[in-house]
Amino acid sequence: MRHRRIYILPTRRGLMFIATLAIMLVTSMNYGLSLGFALTFLLSGLVASALLKTYRNLAGIAVSPVAAGEAFAGTELSFSLSFANAGASRSGILVTTAAQRSVSVDLGAGATHIVQVTSEALRRGRQSLGRVTISSDFPLGLWRGWAYVHFALSGVVYPTPEAPAPPLPPGHEGSDARRSARAAEAELAGLRDYQRGDALNRIAWKAVARGAGWYSKQFEGAGGRGPLELEWADTQGLDTEARLSRLTAWVLAAEREARAFALRLPEAELPLGQGATHRRSALTALALFTEKA
Amino acid sequence: MIFASAPATPLTRAQLTWLAALVLLAQLPLALYVPLWIAAAGAGLVAARLALPAERLPSPQLRRWLLPLLALVVAIGIRMRFGYFLARDPCVAFLYVLVGIKYLETRNARDGGLLVCLALFLLLTQFFYTQTIGAALATLPAVLVLGGTLTALREAPTNVEWRPAIVQTARMIVQGIPIAALLFVLFPRLAGPLWGLPADALARTGLSDRMAPGSIGALSLSDEVAFRVDFDGGLAPPPAQRYWRGPVLSRFDGETWTLLPRARSGVPVRTDSRTVTYTVTLEPHGRLWLFALEQPASLPRRPVDAPAATGGDDTLALLTSDHQLLSRAPLLQAVRYTERSTLVGTFPGVGEADRRDNLQLPRDRNPRAIAFARELRGQVDSDRAYIAAVLDRFRNEPFVYTLTPAPLGRDPVDGFLFDTRRGFCEHYAGAFVVLLRAAGIPARVVTGYQGGEINPDGGYLIVRQSDAHAWSEALLDGRWQRFDPTAAVAPSRVERGLGAALPLGEQIPYMAQLDMTWLKQLRLHWDAINYQWQRGVVGFNLDRQRDLLRDLRLDNARPWQIVALAAGAILLWGIFLLGIARMKLLRVDPVLALWAQACRRLALGGLRRNPEEGPLAYAQRAARRWPQWRALFERIGESYALLRYGPQTTDRADLIAALRRSVDTLPPVRALRVR
Repeated sequence: MRHRRIYILPTRRGLMFIATLAIMLVTSMNYGLSLGFALTFLLSGLVASALLKTYRNLAGIAVSPVAAGEAFAGTELSFSLSFANAGASRSGILVTTAAQRSVSVDLGAGATHIVQVTSEALRRGRQSLGRVTISSDFPLGLWRGWAYVHFALSGVVYPTPEAPAPPLPPGHEGSDARRSARAAEAELAGLRDYQRGDALNRIAWKAVARGAGWYSKQFEGAGGRGPLELEWADTQGLDTEARLSRLTAWVLAAEREARAFALRLPEAELPLGQGATHRRSALTALALFTEKA
Repeated sequence: MIFASAPATPLTRAQLTWLAALVLLAQLPLALYVPLWIAAAGAGLVAARLALPAERLPSPQLRRWLLPLLALVVAIGIRMRFGYFLARDPCVAFLYVLVGIKYLETRNARDGGLLVCLALFLLLTQFFYTQTIGAALATLPAVLVLGGTLTALREAPTNVEWRPAIVQTARMIVQGIPIAALLFVLFPRLAGPLWGLPADALARTGLSDRMAPGSIGALSLSDEVAFRVDFDGGLAPPPAQRYWRGPVLSRFDGETWTLLPRARSGVPVRTDSRTVTYTVTLEPHGRLWLFALEQPASLPRRPVDAPAATGGDDTLALLTSDHQLLSRAPLLQAVRYTERSTLVGTFPGVGEADRRDNLQLPRDRNPRAIAFARELRGQVDSDRAYIAAVLDRFRNEPFVYTLTPAPLGRDPVDGFLFDTRRGFCEHYAGAFVVLLRAAGIPARVVTGYQGGEINPDGGYLIVRQSDAHAWSEALLDGRWQRFDPTAAVAPSRVERGLGAALPLGEQIPYMAQLDMTWLKQLRLHWDAINYQWQRGVVGFNLDRQRDLLRDLRLDNARPWQIVALAAGAILLWGIFLLGIARMKLLRVDPVLALWAQACRRLALGGLRRNPEEGPLAYAQRAARRWPQWRALFERIGESYALLRYGPQTTDRADLIAALRRSVDTLPPVRALRVR
C-alpha cells in the first residue's frame, strides 16, 4: 500500500473523545484553569500521536494476490492474499471484502502472512474478489485508517451439485442387457439408503419385505468402474441450470466411485479422464458454460 | 486470526478491570474535596462491581431502574448537604458518584467509551480546587491508564497487558508533548469567564470586604500563600514597615466594619523620599484588591520584564481616594504587577467627604466606649495627646493579644475594652477607631497583611493568610496617619510575626512558628519550586501569553498567521516522527535499507516499483528497460529476495556486503534518465 492511499478519520469513539476534550477546554477557559488547559492539551497530544500510530500501523504493508480458490455456489469461496510487513509489528489489521466480511490479523515484524478471506460463492462462473478494504483502529480505537486494494483475482464458482441426484447414467458403450449381466457378476458390496431414482433392480427387496426399510444394493466390480460418458443430452427435460447441476453431481459421483468419465457439452468436450485435474477441468467447464443463443 | 467482535458484546473481565482502574484513579485526586460519604459511595460502587461475582450483582434489568433511582437519591443527598445544587461543588460531587453509577451500569464497549469520557472530565474538575505540582502529578496515573483502557475496549477478545500498555501510552504522551506545549502557549486565553461563574467559584480564602470580631483571627489559622513579592535589588524593608494595604473599612454598624458604598478615585502619594519597587505575584482570591506596601506611590504596572503588548491597556488597577488598589474584575487568575511605594506613612486627606465618612458612629451602640472617649478627650489638650493616651491605655491595662477571645455581646467594643480585654488585631483596630471617632477624630480601619517571611531559597517574600492583619489610620492636620494599636499590646507581632506575639500554648499555624526546623526549611525549598510553578504554569494567563508572544516577536501577528504557524509546526512534528520511525526501521534492517535505496534510484530514473511487484519481477522490468545493466539488476533483485525471503544462512553478512557493493555500483540517476 502506498501512503497516499491511506485515509484516516476519527471513529465514533474518537469523535466522542474529541468532544469531551472540547468541553474540557471550554471549562478550562471559563474558570481560567491553567492546569485544565495543560491536561486537555496533553490528551490532545495523545490523540495526535494515536493518529500517527494508526497511520504507521497501516503504511508500508505490501499486499499482493496469491491465489483464488474454487467453490460450489452457495458455499464459501476463499482468496489468499499475502501481507508482507517490512516494518515493526502491526496489530489489529482488519481485512474486509466488498461483502463486509472481515478477518483480523496481526503481522509480526518483518514477517509475511498469507491471509485468507472468504466471500459467499453466489452464482456459477467467475467471481472476482472485488475491492478489499484494509483497515485498522489500532492502537486506541480513536482513529480508523483504511486503504483500498483492488486485485484482478477471481475464483471459479461451480454449479451447485443437485442433491439428491439420480444415479449415474449408464455407460454408452454397452446395452442395458450387458449392463445388468455385468451388474450380476459384480460382487455385492453392501447396502445404502434408498434414494429416489434408484433402479428397481437394485432395491434390496428382501429387506423391504422384512420391514427393515428401503435400501439399495451397492455393487463393486467391473460394472462400477466402467468409463462414463456424461452428456448434455442425458439431462433433457430440465432447464439449463438444473442440467448443469445434475452434471456437476454426476461428475462428483463419478469421481467418488473412481470412474473415468468424459464430459460432452454443446460448446465444450472433455475427453475421457480421471483424477483431480480432470475433475477440476470438468467442473470449470460446467461453471463457465454459456449457452449459445 | 480473530474475527472482529460486534460492539454489543458484553465486557470481559479484563476490560472491566481497566475501566475500574481509570475510574478509581480519576476519582482519587478529588476524594479530598468532596464530602466523605460521596467519596466513599463513588469509589465503593466501582469496587463493588469489581469485587462481586457477576451473579451476585443485581440483574441488568433490575439495574436499569435501580441505578437512576440511586442517582436521584444521591442528588437529593447532595442538595441537602450543600443547600443548593446548580453550582460547582455539588455538581462535581454528583459527577463523582455518577461515574461510579455509570461504571456499575456499563455493559458493552460503547458504554465503556462514554465512561472514559466522564472519567476524563472528572479528572479535570480537581483543578477547581488545587493547581499545585502535586495536583498535576496526581492526574498522571489516570492518564497513563487511559491508553490501555481504550486499547482494551478496542480489542475485546485479547487481554491487554498492563505494563506494555502503560509504556506505550507513556511513549505516545511524550510524543504528543510538543503539540501539547504548542497549544498551551498559543491557545488564546480569555481575560474573564465566558459565562457567569457560580458563586462558590469565587469563594477563596482571603480578606473580605467586611470585618467582624473573629474574622481575621479565623484567617490567621491558614498557612495558604496570599502573595509573593520580589523586591528590586533584593532589599525588603524591615518587618515592622511591611504593612500591605488591602480593604479599607470606614462604615461601622456597632459590630461589623464594611467598605464605603462608593469608591472615589484618588492619586498616588507624591514623594521625594526614598521609594521601594517590588513585583507582587498575587494568588487569585476572587475579589478586587491588589495589595501594596503603604503608601502606594504609583499605580500597579505590568512587570518590567513584561510590559503590555502594543496598544494594550497598561493599567492593572485603579487607586481609590482611601488608597485601595482595585482591579476591574475579580481576580480569578494569579496576577503579577510591579508597584512602587514610599514607606513614609502619611498622605493627604481629600476634603470634607473624607472627614464626614470617617466620623460616622452608631449613637446607640457601645455607649461606654463613647462616654469614655469623650471624658478622656476632655482631659488632654490635643488630638495627638489623646491618641497617645489611648495607646497608653492599651499598653498599660491588662490587654491580652490572643486568637481565642471571649465572646462579646451586643456592644462588642464595650465588652472588649472594659470586660474581657482579650482580642486579636481586629478587636484592637476596631476599638481604637471607635474611640477616635467618639472623640471627633476621623479614623478608619485598614485591613491587609503585615510582615511576611523572606524565603532564603529564592530571596523573595512570602506573605501568607496567617499574616492577615488589621490596623487603623487617623486624619490629623489634614493628613492620614497610620496607628497600629496591636503593636502597643504585642509589639512583637509587627516585628517578628504572629508566632512571636501569641501567648504560649495557643495554636499557631505551622509556618508562622518561629524556630527553623529542617521540616520548615524543606517546606521553604518546596515553596520556592512552587513559586516558579505558580508563575510559569498556573499563572500562564492572558498577560503572560502576550509577554511570551512579544518575546517571540509574534505580538503583531494576525490570528490566522498564528494558526498557520501552529498548523505548520504540527505538520513538521508529524513528518519528523514518521521520519524517525522510518529511520529506525532502516537501521534495524540493512537489507531493507539497501533495497529501498535501489528502488529509490530506479524510481528517480523513471521506473517506479509497483506496490505489489516482487523484487525479481521488478529487476526483470528494469533489465528490459536498461539492458546494459541487466546483470547488475538481476543480481540485486536475486540477492535481496534471497536475503529477505530465503532461509537463514551463515554467510548472511557476506551476502549483505555483496548486496551493498551491487547497490553502490548502480548507475547514477542522470545515466538512467538517458534513453
